[in-house]
Amino acid sequence: MTTQALSETMPNPSRFSVRSALQNAGIGLALLALILFFSVFTEHFLTPNNITNILTQITINLVLAVGMTFVILIGGIDLSVGSVMAFAAVVAGKAITLPGFGPAEAIALAVVAATLTGVACGMINGVISAYWALPSFIITLGMLNIARGAALQVSDAQTIYSFPYAFEEFGSAMIYGVPVVFLVALFLVLVAWFVLNFTVFGRLLYGIGNNEEAVRLAGHSVYWYKVAAFTICGFTAGIAAIVYMARLNISSPIAGIGFELNAIAAVIIGGTSLSGGRGSVIGTLLGAFIIGVLANGLILIGLSDFMRQMITGVVIIVAVVLDYYRAKYASK
Amino acid sequence: MAAASPAIMPQSSENPAFLSVQGLKKHFGGVKALDGVSFSLLKGEVHALVGENGAGKSTLIKILSGVFPYDSGSISLAGEDYRPASPHDAKDLGVQVVHQEFNLLEHLSIAENISVERMPTNRFGLLDKQEMNQRARSALDAVGLTDVDVKAPVSSLGIAHRQLVEISRALQRKSRILILDEPTATLTERETRRLFEIVETIKADGVTIVFVSHHLEEVFAICDRVTVFRNGVSIGTDRISETTPDGVVQKMVGRQLAASTNDAGPSRKPGELALRLDELCTQANPSDKGISFDLRYGEIVGIAGLVGSGRTEILRGIFGVDPIRSGRVLQGGNEMRFSGPRDAIAAGIGFVTEDRKDEGLILEMPIAANMSLANMRAVSRSGLLQFSEENRRSRDGGARLKLKYGKISDAVSSLSGGNQQKVVLAKWLGRNPKVLLLDEPTRGVDVGAKAEIYAILKELARDRVALLVVSSEMPELMTLADRILVLAEHEIQGELTRPEFSEENILKLAYGQARQAGGQKQ
Repeated sequence: MTTQALSETMPNPSRFSVRSALQNAGIGLALLALILFFSVFTEHFLTPNNITNILTQITINLVLAVGMTFVILIGGIDLSVGSVMAFAAVVAGKAITLPGFGPAEAIALAVVAATLTGVACGMINGVISAYWALPSFIITLGMLNIARGAALQVSDAQTIYSFPYAFEEFGSAMIYGVPVVFLVALFLVLVAWFVLNFTVFGRLLYGIGNNEEAVRLAGHSVYWYKVAAFTICGFTAGIAAIVYMARLNISSPIAGIGFELNAIAAVIIGGTSLSGGRGSVIGTLLGAFIIGVLANGLILIGLSDFMRQMITGVVIIVAVVLDYYRAKYASK
Repeated sequence: MAAASPAIMPQSSENPAFLSVQGLKKHFGGVKALDGVSFSLLKGEVHALVGENGAGKSTLIKILSGVFPYDSGSISLAGEDYRPASPHDAKDLGVQVVHQEFNLLEHLSIAENISVERMPTNRFGLLDKQEMNQRARSALDAVGLTDVDVKAPVSSLGIAHRQLVEISRALQRKSRILILDEPTATLTERETRRLFEIVETIKADGVTIVFVSHHLEEVFAICDRVTVFRNGVSIGTDRISETTPDGVVQKMVGRQLAASTNDAGPSRKPGELALRLDELCTQANPSDKGISFDLRYGEIVGIAGLVGSGRTEILRGIFGVDPIRSGRVLQGGNEMRFSGPRDAIAAGIGFVTEDRKDEGLILEMPIAANMSLANMRAVSRSGLLQFSEENRRSRDGGARLKLKYGKISDAVSSLSGGNQQKVVLAKWLGRNPKVLLLDEPTRGVDVGAKAEIYAILKELARDRVALLVVSSEMPELMTLADRILVLAEHEIQGELTRPEFSEENILKLAYGQARQAGGQKQ
């Protein structure tokens, strides 16, 4: 398809898209600059091994951030994803170690258990915050505690292990040096991108983030769309739990502490507005890469983990300040 | 337009202009809010600013009070260039505004509100409550609120008292220019008289007062001069003693609208019953009597009344936005129970809301996306957007309404007010509604686009759509409607047929008995 024909058939999220494309280009350039910098100043950054490392390291955050993008786009936030991930992992860990199942059935059971747990938690977040129009910040803060407590309760505060060997294999499998779990995350990004840009559902999520009342008065059930966004976020927390289990071959009830903050950071650095209505999941992908590359590169360069944390914090603040100017420029 | 009437400005040497505005312009994106405003204030006068909604008065006030910078032109205050960078700046220069919308902190006490700009402190730098309460006491006494406790929270006050608190806050600081933006909109007649006494007192102290009002009888009761605005342009300034309310109205309305008002009127024949309201009472309606009237296909019914008389609530009740307390909405003889806008839309009803920025449009999204917002099914197949279909429909919808735009994919925020309003209309027309509810359909729209929107609405009525139009602009209702229902305090005070249409008749009903004795000074 020529570019001409392409722009004829799908030009419509358009100025929207053009703007978010420009924005993504800016974030992409920042990422490129980081990569260049670390390639020049460290020996090992641009080696196949290290690239594989980075891809592995960012996978869980990327999965969580994809779901978080939906919630932030409608002007919400989900602080519970780290805990929900741990809860889902523990439930799935219990399922996968049930006696009497073959490896294939056990793994299928675990996948179903993890996603259902995540979906249930997300749906509860969505129903409560949408039905009573309460700030999702508070509701999901409550869920953060509930899910963590539930994870500890269900597991008796014990780490669950000895999963089927096939599961572990999946966690460390590579295709041309690319971890399969990263491809799973990338697939989620693509699906989310499609949903947000090419479906009525995605269009209305952007609409709700910009002007909820206008969407409601146009006859759409804002309530269900909000519940759906939170449910998707819970679903990705469930997927993250599976990736986590497959990678580490354990289910720990204290996994994922603080993961919600990294996921939010990836979304914000990716240019999605915290007040909703503006942003893209491609930006989120780039945001997750920026965090991952920074983390990896700064360690290689010889900085302490504490310094890395400080610099990541600075990047988040810079991203939000830039977003302020972007919004100001856009409203002119 | 500038030639319409030369401004009468007494530029004699003993009375030089205290504040002088020349060729002031202010644009918001493509919208010209002010497009050449010139007038002057004399020291110690009461100067009225009048004009229809959207004529530019509010923008001018916001510029004078330092909320917006201006694009071009000049303002001088007491001979010096006046360019306040912030409301704080303006206050320091002695320009105070009492805004139409309240700026009070509801949960703080009256005293705290009155001192909020400069809290009194004792020598330890702590809040001096005694001094604060004393200040508030004397400020309230000055506006006649002698029986109000300054320690009470603002939330315990009624609307009128809040207005007076706000005025007293502006007064306690030394002002050179005091701007009152529709100060009487919420006041009763007695409170209004009290306010006028206060205005006389501060005028005697040499303070210049700018008085913005929709009520000409008030303007003629207390003002010295009046400047008329229309579509962002100052039409001219007159001495009150040298003009008449009719003369002012003529300038406000301009010739175009005056002419179209007097045309023979529509030769429409109302058809079958579209909607019947049977004692409809929404939750916002405090009165026990509901609203009852019929709306027929092919007719335009206007709803007039002052702000707060319950006009918008009727539309919101019909559309299922506000819960209905009692009464019924019938469509073709069947009672309709809409649990939300979705049901109303399914029943063929559309609702062009009052505030396009907050309720009608998603400003940052493309024109096409806004037009299809109420009609997603037509531009999608099993949940997938059909962009070519959406663009085609949107271009058609835009062409039908003579929409002026760059690309159909441009954000709606890039359009002028009139064209934004056309997008809202297009959104609903795309569904071919049988009943269209419109709330202030031309607010903030320039004269040209106004005429086009009127033509569209009339054409819809010819095509047998039933239209219910709420408007504050009486010429608008008189141009469009077959009959006008006049509301006051959530009750229909009367119905006017075309031969009975006049601003006077509408106003008489809108003010009910309560106001009748009020503005008799002519």
